[in-house]
Amino acid sequence: MSVLLEAELLKLRTTRTFAALVGAALALSLLVVGLTSALSDTLTRSDVNSLFAADFTGLFILLLGIMGMAGEWRHRTITGTVLAAPWRLRLLGAKVLSYAAAGALLSLIVTVTIMLVGTVILSIRGEVTPDAAKLVDILWRNLVVAALLGALGVGIGGLIRNQVVAIVGTLAVSFVLEPTLFALVPEVARFAPTQGAPSGIVQVDALGGTIDRLSAGVAVLVMLGWIALFFAAAGARLRRFDLV
Amino acid sequence: MAPVEVRELSKRFGHVQAVKQLTFDVRPGRVTGFLGPNGAGKSTTLRALLGLVRPTAGTATFDGRRYEELERPSAHVGAVLEDASFHPGRTARNHLRVAAVLGCHPPERVDAVLDEVDLSGAADRRVKGYSMGMRQRLAIATALLGDPAVLILDEPTNGLDPPGIAWMRALVRRHAARGHAVLVSSHLLAEVAQSVDDVVVIARGELRGRGTLQEVLGGGGSPTTEVRSQDDARLARALAARGHAVQRDGDGLLVLGATPEQVGVVAGDERVYLTRLTARSRSLEQAFFELTGGETR
Repeated sequence: MSVLLEAELLKLRTTRTFAALVGAALALSLLVVGLTSALSDTLTRSDVNSLFAADFTGLFILLLGIMGMAGEWRHRTITGTVLAAPWRLRLLGAKVLSYAAAGALLSLIVTVTIMLVGTVILSIRGEVTPDAAKLVDILWRNLVVAALLGALGVGIGGLIRNQVVAIVGTLAVSFVLEPTLFALVPEVARFAPTQGAPSGIVQVDALGGTIDRLSAGVAVLVMLGWIALFFAAAGARLRRFDLV
Repeated sequence: MAPVEVRELSKRFGHVQAVKQLTFDVRPGRVTGFLGPNGAGKSTTLRALLGLVRPTAGTATFDGRRYEELERPSAHVGAVLEDASFHPGRTARNHLRVAAVLGCHPPERVDAVLDEVDLSGAADRRVKGYSMGMRQRLAIATALLGDPAVLILDEPTNGLDPPGIAWMRALVRRHAARGHAVLVSSHLLAEVAQSVDDVVVIARGELRGRGTLQEVLGGGGSPTTEVRSQDDARLARALAARGHAVQRDGDGLLVLGATPEQVGVVAGDERVYLTRLTARSRSLEQAFFELTGGETR
């Protein structure tokens, strides 16, 4: 397994996709945090915490995981990958772990950067800034969400092999289906995989709503359940699939 | 136990029987041509051998083990498949680095195989800029990374120019000369005839012949003789009486399953004067065409 993991991480490092997604997530997060910190009239301690927690990397990490797995079919590299590592479930497991690690790394880079920039801007304006303990609390929650979303993305990409369909479908769920659920049945929406459960982990209201969030522990378990579901479905499909 | 053993292998895709009870071996130190027209089931057989396709029945093993049972598959078997693909944004060197990690091969093998396939100069270019021939060389480099005892090449000359084809022939001969087993599939007999020792011929998923090139396609087991005489009708009756198949062939006769010496003896016994007696050698292509029935699916 360690060999598979090492190879997957090397794959991630040897294309521009990961760097491009880090850059995009960082740029978007910095833009939002910078503008909000600089232009908002008054920010409460809660507002600042929410600002640093919403690092905007979740979606990018989800897409990274989808591309990492569905991309094997898109570029038809899956045959070579399975030839080199014919143990298909272990291969899928290694991808899940490596994209979880990549997600955590991406989130670490973005969260630490926006915390530094945001804190500097708020300090200059004489606004309230979070203490170190709160920053650490926000950081680990962001890293956990990022790792879980990276793993979930691999599961989605393993089940829906058409990369475009997988990405468009995930965006539709995240930006259309889940917001609709939040509006209509928030008690169900908080279990949703892309925003509902993650909002319970970071303890920030998804989509600005005020639903009764899941506790962080339950939210993590819910996310692990989603990952297990997609992993099982993708694994069953991958095992049976003839690579012709 | 042969390095590669295929036993009663069958594969069905829905209503299509792609491979039907195929049995053959690949021996060490020999290059085996796996021949058949397009759609004959060659690629399906190779993919079943490599664990990419699940057989409906039968087995395909390397030294008695299925591909996925090999501890380090790429150290045992190197494979180049017809649609070898690479991530377009990754360089050749990085592709090989990943493959070396997966196969637990020493990193220095990367440079060694890049040299071997003459890609060192382009190793740090992204694969999306590669020609088809360069991609094929990269696929071969990947297969050679683990210095495997078995090399499987599916239509390996696709995309190669004439010097590339000559290079490929030399490569498979070198590999076999080191005692390794090589299985090369092709639908073009002419491209492999110069480099193979043994052949396995299939059509419509079924075995049509196996053995040495001479045995299967050289007419070695089925001699044919052209003969012309002063009394063809009498000679034909005499030959038929001795069990030879005789066909009218232009102004003379074509005797199937008989050498010129055998025909000469019959003519002597019958006191028929011969005006022409020639062994007809079928061309390899002709024999191949006859064996496969010129079939495609």
